[in-house]
Amino acid sequence: MKQGMKLILGLAVLLMAAASPAVHAGDAELSAESLKCLQCHGKKGSFFKLANGDSIPTYVNPAKYKVSVHNALACSRCHTDFSADAHPARRFATRDQYRMRASAVCRGCHAAEQIKAKPIHANLLLREKEGISSICTDCHDAHSGNPVAGGKIIKSEKQYCMSCHQHEMSMTCRNNEKIPLTVEMSTAEDNAHDKLRCSDCHYGFSSEEHPKRNFRSRRDYTITASESCRRCHFDKYTKTLDSVHYTVLSQGNLSAPVCNDCHGSHVIHHITRGVKGRTITTQKCRKCHPGVYEVYAKSVHGNALFNEQNQDVPVCIDCHTAHNIDNPLTLEYHEKIPQMCGNCHANPAIVSKYGLSTGVLNAYLSDFHGVTLGLYRKQREQLYKPARPIAVCTDCHGTHNITGAASSDPVVVKANLVKRCQKCHKDANENFPDAWLSHYKPSLSKYPMIFLVNTAYRIFIPLMGLGFVLQIFLHIWRYAVNR
Amino acid sequence: MGAPMETGKKKMRRFSGYRILEHWGIILSTVVLFATGLCQRFWYVDSAQWFILKMSGIDNVRLIHRCAGVLFSFELILHIAIAVGGIARGRWGPSMFIKKGDLQDAVHNIRYYFGLEEHLARCDRYDYMEKFEYWTILVGGVLMMGTGAVLWLPTFFTRVLPGESIPAAKALHSNEALLIFLINAIWHIYNAIFSPEAFPLDTTIFTGDISRERMLREHPIELAAIEGVEVEELLGNGHKEAAAVKPRPEPGVP
Repeated sequence: MKQGMKLILGLAVLLMAAASPAVHAGDAELSAESLKCLQCHGKKGSFFKLANGDSIPTYVNPAKYKVSVHNALACSRCHTDFSADAHPARRFATRDQYRMRASAVCRGCHAAEQIKAKPIHANLLLREKEGISSICTDCHDAHSGNPVAGGKIIKSEKQYCMSCHQHEMSMTCRNNEKIPLTVEMSTAEDNAHDKLRCSDCHYGFSSEEHPKRNFRSRRDYTITASESCRRCHFDKYTKTLDSVHYTVLSQGNLSAPVCNDCHGSHVIHHITRGVKGRTITTQKCRKCHPGVYEVYAKSVHGNALFNEQNQDVPVCIDCHTAHNIDNPLTLEYHEKIPQMCGNCHANPAIVSKYGLSTGVLNAYLSDFHGVTLGLYRKQREQLYKPARPIAVCTDCHGTHNITGAASSDPVVVKANLVKRCQKCHKDANENFPDAWLSHYKPSLSKYPMIFLVNTAYRIFIPLMGLGFVLQIFLHIWRYAVNR
Repeated sequence: MGAPMETGKKKMRRFSGYRILEHWGIILSTVVLFATGLCQRFWYVDSAQWFILKMSGIDNVRLIHRCAGVLFSFELILHIAIAVGGIARGRWGPSMFIKKGDLQDAVHNIRYYFGLEEHLARCDRYDYMEKFEYWTILVGGVLMMGTGAVLWLPTFFTRVLPGESIPAAKALHSNEALLIFLINAIWHIYNAIFSPEAFPLDTTIFTGDISRERMLREHPIELAAIEGVEVEELLGNGHKEAAAVKPRPEPGVP
């Protein structure tokens, strides 16, 4: 019995499903009048000429008309005054004038109260009060007359929104800039946001609500739109508040990049690992910093990235970070540079394959400049004492234009080095850069003089200390014995 | 140096007022130099960093170190000039000069500590330990002065010296400083304060006076010369156990 009931119910559901398109699209025969009109208007190639020289095609797709909601209506129901016998001449100045006239015909059946039921229409009706007329055929095809979704059943919010936003449309800002509202949905698999609904980012918008927005400029809109990213990416958002980009933005420079500028809006890719992804990030920065990019591309790092697809070399975000980008001109940033370079140059896994010394960071940090830098940082942190700038890696090696010393002429390297030294030590001559031991720890093969001095003291000082201590103990012991 | 001065029976004059002042100057400059220098050498130690921050930063520490260095250099140059001038004019003998007998004295004393000798070595105005201390500090001081100047004005000195001389000067300066510091901290402070014979403080360099008893024990040759007697005679009278172990060298300072 139960089995039987289930079967009947299942059949009923199937039947309803099969019947529903027929109900929606209608299956009625076209009227005799319509068929007569279609004898001419069902053929492509004829146009109606407007007074301004423009023309409107007079073609009506018979197949679409046949399945439209208006299929039962005769043509003259909308095109009043026209019939199988009468075809009066009409004159319109512009296409818009014609379309406004045509929309007025729709309103003959579809009263304002009926239209208002949909919020999107309600907004359009409000605009009419401001003198902006709504044209039905902008969204609804004139002869198929289907709902904007094309007669499809709307399954998702995205589908609902796209039924309008797939079309070419735009919004005008107060400065008369146009913001295109056409959304190109990515079908690519790497769209990171493919599971999101439109209203997840465009909050306040839904099938029920479509509030009116008014932006001063297109840039204003982009900046405002980026605010919605923080709803999910709050950690990244708070980081950006500490960045130089946000500082510049808050100072009123609207060109400063916001989320959308680097990440895009409707097509947001997953992070691409590897060389490809690293190369992509440099292109984002390039948009605003083309000069720096050009210099970087020619450097030993950039050259290896672009020409050798080397994954070890730093890209922009390795030093500058991606979200909390510091102002590189500050002392705080300057102080961090040795550690930044050291992330790779003190890491044997990275630099040893290129024959580079991993001791450079320690050699720097224990030398005059490195020690002073470390103490200046402490002074700034604990005594709030403004520190003077002191030479770090980039002051001698350059920043974006770093070249490999091994591949350059040693004479040129030294000549360049003297110039670098002279930036702080004004009267330095060509001997002076030799004071820097190329970041080598003195040894018998490298800088033996310094190595021998250190070794001699390293042997002599403990021996002498031991001798003193022995003599003191002997002295005390003898003194005690004598007593 | 100072003429013997009978202050009662026991007190004798060992150092003149100038030497007392000179010692104070050396104390002042070296204490400042060690404090501001060691914290730079051992910059990675927490207490060194604490000190640098208490001194309101490394730039201040370096400035004070250089000022103290200038004072020390002045004292050193003055000392050498006076010593050379004094010896040249015959005002005093080269009592600080190292002699062959000093090594024998050292061996003798070590034998004494092990119980192989009856008594301490008989010394002149300055014994071998004092000489060792004096010369290491004098030679070290000159070295510190030179290398310190190179480190202070590196671009000036590299006009004539190779660039490598700067890290070499740094190696010498910091190592020699540690050596001098250890000589002072272990040896000098022990001898002047913690030695059972000096404790709580050997006041001679501050008052200029020394007891005859100590002179007899530590500098019998000088005492004999002062009193115009032979060492054996002096020790025979004052120190029954003592016996001359070596012939008396040339006369010490009057």
